[in-house]
Amino acid sequence: MQILEQAQDLPTAGNIKAQWVSLWTGPAVGAVLLVAAIAFPGFWPPMSPTMSADQVAAFYADHTAWIRASQVTFNLCGILIVPFLSLIVVQMKRMRQTHVFAYCYLTAMVSGATIFALSNVFFLVAAFRPGRNPELIQLLNDLAWIVFIAPIGMVVSQFVLLALAVYFDDQEHPVFPKWVGHFSLIIAAAMVPAAGAAVFQTGPLAWDGLWSFWVRNGAYALFVIVMFFVLRKAIQRQAVDDGVISA
Amino acid sequence: MSTATRNRDVWWMTWFFPAWYAVFGVIICLLTRVTPPPRPDVTAAEKVAFFAQHHLTIQIGFTLLLILLGGAAMTNGLVCYQIKRMSVGSVFAYGYIGGMSVGALPGFLLVTVCFLTAAYRPDRNPELISLLYDLGMLSYNGSLGCFTAAYLVLAIAILYDRNEVFPKWFAYVSIWQIITEVIATQMFVFPSGAFAWNGSIAFWLAVVVFSVWLGALIVLLRRAAEEESAKESAQMVAAQ
Amino acid sequence: MTRTEERTETVGRLPGDRDMWIMVLGDMTIFAGYFVIFMIYRAMNRQEFLVAQQHLNITIGVINTVVLVTSSWLVARAVQAIRAGDVQKSIALVVSGGVGGALFMVLKGYEWASKIAAGHTNSDMFYSFYYVITGVHLIHVLIGLIVLGVVVRELRNPARRRAQMVEIGATYWHMVDLLWVIIFALFYVMR
Repeated sequence: MQILEQAQDLPTAGNIKAQWVSLWTGPAVGAVLLVAAIAFPGFWPPMSPTMSADQVAAFYADHTAWIRASQVTFNLCGILIVPFLSLIVVQMKRMRQTHVFAYCYLTAMVSGATIFALSNVFFLVAAFRPGRNPELIQLLNDLAWIVFIAPIGMVVSQFVLLALAVYFDDQEHPVFPKWVGHFSLIIAAAMVPAAGAAVFQTGPLAWDGLWSFWVRNGAYALFVIVMFFVLRKAIQRQAVDDGVISA
Repeated sequence: MSTATRNRDVWWMTWFFPAWYAVFGVIICLLTRVTPPPRPDVTAAEKVAFFAQHHLTIQIGFTLLLILLGGAAMTNGLVCYQIKRMSVGSVFAYGYIGGMSVGALPGFLLVTVCFLTAAYRPDRNPELISLLYDLGMLSYNGSLGCFTAAYLVLAIAILYDRNEVFPKWFAYVSIWQIITEVIATQMFVFPSGAFAWNGSIAFWLAVVVFSVWLGALIVLLRRAAEEESAKESAQMVAAQ
Repeated sequence: MTRTEERTETVGRLPGDRDMWIMVLGDMTIFAGYFVIFMIYRAMNRQEFLVAQQHLNITIGVINTVVLVTSSWLVARAVQAIRAGDVQKSIALVVSGGVGGALFMVLKGYEWASKIAAGHTNSDMFYSFYYVITGVHLIHVLIGLIVLGVVVRELRNPARRRAQMVEIGATYWHMVDLLWVIIFALFYVMR
C-alpha cells in the first residue's frame, strides 16, 4: 500500500496505516495459532469425553511437554486476534447507521475472547502437576474442553450483529458486500449446536464430535480467513475515498 | 459560564489512576499475599497452612477487591481515551480495550474467587485447596496473551502517532513488557527456579519492568492531561 | 514542526534520538539483570552447568558472532554513507545488514533444532537459561529486522530520508550485536 506523499502526515493516513498493520496481524497470528493447534496432542484425535480419570491423567503425563508448549502458545498468542477483529468494529462504524451495532460487537468480541483465554488457563493448570490426583486432572480437563467448545453465545452475537449491520448499510457503495451478511448467519448457525458439548459425551455434539469440534472450529477459521480478504478490500477502498492512496 | 476546561473529567480519571493502583498494590502485596507469590513447590498441606495463616487478610483484601475491581475498567478506559487522541484512528483503542478487558477475568478476578473459595471452607480436602491455589496463581501470573495484545497495540499506536500524546520511549517500555510476558510462559513448566511463577526472572525482574511501565504511565497520563488542558485554555482565550 | 525536526544541526548532537537511547540503555539494563541471575545460578550449580555446556557447539557460536558483527559493521557504514549523501549505497548496506540478521536467525533456529533433537531441552537448568536468553535475543533480532525495514522504506522516500533515521536503526542494531557478544561469552566461551 503506497501512501500518497501529500497525505503522509494526515490523521486519515495514520488511520489507514493503523488498520493495515492490524489487518496483517490476522494472518501472522493465524499461522502461529495453526501451528500450535497442530502441535497440541489433545486435538489429534480430539480427546474423548469418555476417557476415565486415569486415562486423562496418563494422557497429560505422556504428552506433558507438547501439551504445555502448544497451550502456552495459545495463551500468549490467542488474544492477539483482538486487533484484527477490532477492524470489524472500525468498519462497522463507517456503515450507514448509528454506531450501536459496532459497540455491541466490540462488547461481544471481548467477552468471547475472554472465554477462550479462560479455557486455555484450565488446560495449562491440568498439565502443571503430573502428580495431581487423576480425578482433579479430569475435572480441569472437563472444564477446559467445555469452556473451549460450548459457550458459543458471544460468538453467535458477533455474527448476528455483523449481519444486521451489513443489511442495514444501504448506501451506494456499502462497506461490506451483502453476501457477508448471509455468510455470517450461516457461520453462526454452524456454530450453535456446539453448545451440546456441555451435555453430550458421545456423538457428533460431544466436544470431540464431528459437529462440535470440526465443524465449529472449521467454521470459525473460515470466517477469519474470509474476513481477511473482505477487510482488506474495505480498507483499500476507504484509503482511496479518504485520499490516502491513488485509485 | 464555567471557566473550568472541558477536560476536568479526564483530570478526575487521571488522579483516580494512581490512587486505584495504590489500593490495588496494598491488597495484593500486604493483605492477600499474592504478590510476591507464594511458592509453587510446596505440598498440599503447606498450601492449606498458607490459607490458614492469611485467612483473615485474604478475605478482607479480596472482598475489598470485589468491590473495587470496577476501577480496572476506569484505568483501562483512561488509557483508551488517550490512544483515541492519537492520530491513528480508533482501531488500536479498541484493541487496547479488548486486550485489557479480556485480561481482567483470568488476570485477577480468577485468583480473587479461587482464593476466596479456598478460604471459604478451610477444612476442604487439601488436594482441592491445592487445585484452587494452583489455578489462582497460574491464572494471575500466567495470563499473558491479553496483556501482550494490549501492549502491542499501545506500542504501535505511540510509534505511529503524530500528535505526540505519549513519547516514543514509552512505546519501547511497552515492548519490554511484551518480552516479560514471553518469558513468563516458562512458569507453566517450572515449579521452582528462576523461571517459576515466583522465580527471579519470571517474576522479580518482570515486576521491576512492570513498575517502570506503570510509573511511567502515571506520569505520562498526567502530562497528557496537562497538555490537553493547556490546549483547551488557549482555545478558550482565542475564542474570546 | 515535530520535535525531531528541530534537531538539524550536526555539531554536538547526540546521534540517533533520545527515545532510542532510552530504549537501548534500559534494554541493556534488563539484560544485565538476566546475566547476573544466570551467573548466580551458575555459581550455585557449577558442575552441572559445565557438563551441560560441553554440548554447545562453539563453532556455530563463532560463526553467528562473525555474522552479526559483520552485519553491524555494514550498518555502521550505512550511517557513514547517508551522512555523505549517498542514499543508494546506504540502502544497499542496510539491506545487507538485514540479510546478516536473517542469516543469524536461520543459524540459531538450526542450532536449537539440533539441540532439542539431541535431548537438551529446557528440563536441564543450563539449557532453560540458554533457550530463554537466546530466545529473547532472537526476538530482538526479529524486531531489529523490522526496524531496518522501516529505515529502508524511509530512505526510499525522498520526502523522508534523513541521516537520523539510519542512526536510530544503527543504534538499535549495534545493541543487538553487543548483547549477542556478551551472550556468546557467557554461554559458549566461559568455562
